Amino acid sequence: MNIWAYIIRRLLYVIPVLLGVCLIIFVLFNLVSPDPTLIMLGKHASVSQMEDLRRELGLDRPWFLQYLDVVKSAFTFDFGRSWSTKQEIIEMIKAGAIPSLTLSIPAFIISTFLSISISLFVAFFRGTMLDRTIVFLCVTMMSISSLAYILFGQWFFAFKLGLFEISGYEFGFPYFIPYVILPVLIWVMLGIGPDVRFYRTIILDEIYQDYVRTARAKGLSENMIMFKHVLKNAMIPIITYVIIQIPFLILGALLLETFFSIPGLGGIVLSAINSSDFPVVKAMTILISVAYIIFSVLTDVMYTLVDPRVRLK
Amino acid sequence: MKKIKIFQTLIIGLLLATVVSCTKKTASNESVLNLAVSSKVKGMDPIYSNDRYSSNEVARVYEGLLEYHYLKRPYTLKPNLAESMPTVSADGLTYTFQIKKGVMFHDDAAFTNGKGRELVAEDFVYSIKRLADPKLQGLGYWLLDGKIVGLDEWRAKYAELPKADYSDEVEGLKATGKYTLQFKLKKSFPQFLYSLAMPFTFAVAKEVVEKYGEEFLNHPVGTGPFVLPRFEQSNRITYTKNKNFREKKYPCDGSPELKAQGYMADCGKTLPLVDKIVVNIIVESQPRWLNFQKGKVEYISVPKDNFEAAIPDAKNLDPKFVEKGVRLSVTPSLDVTYTAYNHDKKLFNNTKLRQAMSLAYNVDESNKLFYNNTAMPAQSVVPPGIAGHIPNYKNPYRGTGTPANIAAAKKLLAEAGYPNGEGLPEISYDCPSSTTSRQTGEFFKKQMAQIGIKINVITNPWPELQKKITNRNVDLYGIAWGADYPDAENFLQLLYGPNRSPGANGSGYNNPEFNKLFASAATMQDSPERTALYEKMYRIAAEEMPWIYGVHRQSYTVVNGWLKNYMSTDFEAGQGSYLRVDLDQKKKLLEKF
Repeated sequence: MNIWAYIIRRLLYVIPVLLGVCLIIFVLFNLVSPDPTLIMLGKHASVSQMEDLRRELGLDRPWFLQYLDVVKSAFTFDFGRSWSTKQEIIEMIKAGAIPSLTLSIPAFIISTFLSISISLFVAFFRGTMLDRTIVFLCVTMMSISSLAYILFGQWFFAFKLGLFEISGYEFGFPYFIPYVILPVLIWVMLGIGPDVRFYRTIILDEIYQDYVRTARAKGLSENMIMFKHVLKNAMIPIITYVIIQIPFLILGALLLETFFSIPGLGGIVLSAINSSDFPVVKAMTILISVAYIIFSVLTDVMYTLVDPRVRLK
Repeated sequence: MKKIKIFQTLIIGLLLATVVSCTKKTASNESVLNLAVSSKVKGMDPIYSNDRYSSNEVARVYEGLLEYHYLKRPYTLKPNLAESMPTVSADGLTYTFQIKKGVMFHDDAAFTNGKGRELVAEDFVYSIKRLADPKLQGLGYWLLDGKIVGLDEWRAKYAELPKADYSDEVEGLKATGKYTLQFKLKKSFPQFLYSLAMPFTFAVAKEVVEKYGEEFLNHPVGTGPFVLPRFEQSNRITYTKNKNFREKKYPCDGSPELKAQGYMADCGKTLPLVDKIVVNIIVESQPRWLNFQKGKVEYISVPKDNFEAAIPDAKNLDPKFVEKGVRLSVTPSLDVTYTAYNHDKKLFNNTKLRQAMSLAYNVDESNKLFYNNTAMPAQSVVPPGIAGHIPNYKNPYRGTGTPANIAAAKKLLAEAGYPNGEGLPEISYDCPSSTTSRQTGEFFKKQMAQIGIKINVITNPWPELQKKITNRNVDLYGIAWGADYPDAENFLQLLYGPNRSPGANGSGYNNPEFNKLFASAATMQDSPERTALYEKMYRIAAEEMPWIYGVHRQSYTVVNGWLKNYMSTDFEAGQGSYLRVDLDQKKKLLEKF
């Protein structure tokens, strides 16, 4: 089958998925979320002012009209303005995405690269003391709460040693760099434990396959076996794991962003949820769903590149 | 070897990158005020500035008719953009203001030739109509709701139409001359003047609003001491001094105690006293605290977790801070924390039960546990520092954990019809879901268990709790109230029957005697008679125990030695222009950091 036909067909799935996503967030928002007018008006809310506000926000219209609005914004990407900050949502997202991505992209690349290298390394020495020590270290690192890394890292490296900025962010290259080094390092530390264990298991699954024994029997070197055969075969689960994380990178890392005062999207989403700011929550959910679909299509296409046995249907 | 080289290169790269940061610094002879705030700022439109963070930012750029005198306590209003305090008609209903002449708006492309024009009385008419505009849904309309002749009607009329017409006159809000502004009130409401010192009613220019439309909130153009060309949602806001700011001087009069503390050293100097204000938004307390200790922000309120390190004996600053020139500023906040009963529930109409529960609650212990012993146990609803609070009054039903308190509580509980809590259902206690609130709830549960009352603590996200209170779905809930303006009315209204939820009276307390007193005090000007009424209500609220009173908090702020004229206040709006940074001292003190 033509790869383009496949991609287009898969991308058309966006339509029913988006309709479903709209329905879910709409229902959830109307059933679960507290009355936004009450939150916006705060401690001085009165019945008449709440009614006025509901009318201005269009919350007093029949629900299917409100649902249609949600659907419309999902397909036009015109999300309007935030109820709580009155800022234009697309502008909020644009402004927040840059800091989030300057933090998450380097962190993601470094941690993926490091984790895969370390897991190849330990798989090579599987069963030895070195392997066990590294696995033990990974488990230990996973057991420490992420908050501990952040609090300690910020206090020790930024405050005590003065190596990095304590918090803050500067827009534009290269000014943002000093502000993101420490959070990136912490992100890498946080990711390395679970990632190394995950990749190691995948690689070990391959190492005990028959084809590896055959390769050894042919007299291939261990290096050749590891990189040419094992890594290539382990690529499918690795690609799935890696690519599916990408759409979420845009959300940055909530805790890191708040502790290091990085004005990213994580903070925007959190405050939107806390203030029942439906338009912002809606916009972010829709964007993430679309990105998720696009990247899962991309994953499928990548499969065919690394494994000729995979056929797109 | 190769690996070591790579490692070295990496480290050098990192260090270089860190050095790069030094390139974007301000000139050192510029006097910059570095502030840290703990919450995001929404935007710069006065009518939406309903939290202290937004209103503080709005007040750097915009100004109102009145302001609080910087050096007078108790808080006193003084004219700001008004030439003098208004003349009030004999019936107390008509307020006439003269506006200062020659006050200019900041330069902006919205004006002819980009030059700011003069402020006139009509600007206030426009700005206050904006607050009432039903299409804009300003968040401060509660201030004026039901107060100004014709304004509610104007608002109601345009609620149904597509657009509000600002040229449609409102009887009670008129510019009677170029510089003369007149308000007519529906009924006497002496607290009205406080609303003119709040950022909601600050002056905006029609041209600017019309030019930027919905984007107006990102283009602040006022008459204030600082200029911000464009507001961007970020973690840092940088204001520069308004070069065309009118002659405004640092005050030479004020309360004697502030004079004694040296707050008048800058008497007569031209405001503002700094060239630039940089507001850093730092949500978490650790980075705020660390930045303060590095001298990167001028002052912060001491975070709870660092309290012991900073103020070990709960009174004096640790010597290692004193050495660096840091000083401590302690001021009582105009607020009250409390646990409210839901008076809609028959159970809580039993006064003796309410008194018993209050006696069983050890307020001293809660002060120690949750406020590091820095708060003042509340005896009734009005905090100290405003008329209506009775100093040295001891509430007879205020428990401090003594055996006598517990015995008295048990006796009252038996008289209420529930000996040892028998026959009482499990009572739920709703609170916000933060760790401290949950701990407060657990503490409350333990206290009530002493007299046999079972409590079920339920934590809620803040909006959810608000919703539950409004829908009357609670038994007890823990909450706090901070003053909107320094008048006991702002606290007493929380117990006024007709204000029941969703009004400010969330507990639904309704006592005809209290209501009557409140209604008569509400129309009275500040006078000994009114204070007497306030005090009467204070006593009723103490003896009837409509709530279990918690504490009045105090704010503990650490201030770097080079910052002058700072004191913590409940009404920070506009404070920035009075603060001064002593650059020589800063240089010297920073060497000790």
